[in-house]
Amino acid sequence: MSAGEQLTDFERLSRQALEESVLRIDGRVRSRLNQARQAAVEAASARRRPLFSRFFTLVPTAGAAAAALLVTMVLWHHGPQLELPIVAESSHPAEDLELIADGEALDLVQDGDGSGSFYEWAADQTEAGGGESET
Amino acid sequence: MPVASHGDVELSESSTNARSRALNQFLAGVELKAFKIAQAALRHEDDALDAVQDAMLQLARAYADKPAEEWKPLFYRILENRIRDMQRRRTVRGRVIAWMPFRGDEEEDEPDPIAQAPSMDPSPVKKLELAEAMGALEKALAELPRRQQQVFMLRTLEGMDVAETAIAMGCSEGSVKTHYFRALQALREQLGELV
Repeated sequence: MSAGEQLTDFERLSRQALEESVLRIDGRVRSRLNQARQAAVEAASARRRPLFSRFFTLVPTAGAAAAALLVTMVLWHHGPQLELPIVAESSHPAEDLELIADGEALDLVQDGDGSGSFYEWAADQTEAGGGESET
Repeated sequence: MPVASHGDVELSESSTNARSRALNQFLAGVELKAFKIAQAALRHEDDALDAVQDAMLQLARAYADKPAEEWKPLFYRILENRIRDMQRRRTVRGRVIAWMPFRGDEEEDEPDPIAQAPSMDPSPVKKLELAEAMGALEKALAELPRRQQQVFMLRTLEGMDVAETAIAMGCSEGSVKTHYFRALQALREQLGELV
């Protein structure tokens, strides 16, 4: 109720009676309220504590995180170098793989570029196939 | 990158201490009245203490950084929510107990702490009259609907204006006026010349 508002007698007397009852609150309740207040203020202080005072509690965690990051970086940079020479020797690794996988294609390449060789091989295959079917 | 100097830290710490002092002062100013309001609603001393304690903690944890002028309506809003939670829990517990076949009536026999409020040194006549009025008022308040009781306590005991009361109760200013008017009417009818 703001100061500007006019109170009726009833309201004024009611307020007086209620304020009187507040004054009569016993020591046990007052003590418990006091404890609750201290706990609340402490909770608020802990939440608002400045960054500087929290700095020292953060240092061990930050240090551990930095060390872990450093180790990861070192392993990342040194690990792949052991396998690099193998990759470097082949100019077309994908092509090599195909040749190794396909034995017939390898024969064709080794015979040279001659399209005649291919036809000879094809003719041989046909004859061989025909002979087998006859037997 | 700017680094906080020693002076900045001191400033920050002193600001934190000032906020803590302000919060302590605020809570010290409202705790007794808040207890009385909670006690009128819950009619149980320990429940009222728990409600006030919870409200204090929640205000400190969630709203301590808000401007100090906003604390009072926020605090009473939190307190009101706690009171409502406790009343709901009590209602549920009452229903469960009512269904139990061999229930005891211990709670029924429990004395009402408001009715048994201690009367200290009632030597002057005025004090006697006031004590009588106080007892009658508390009894009449206990019989009011919850919203009317709440608005009457906030406006009369805590001295909050309509706008603050509306925030604390989570309703419109019009509702505050209506509830308050009805509360006054009901109390006048019940108390007559006593108060």
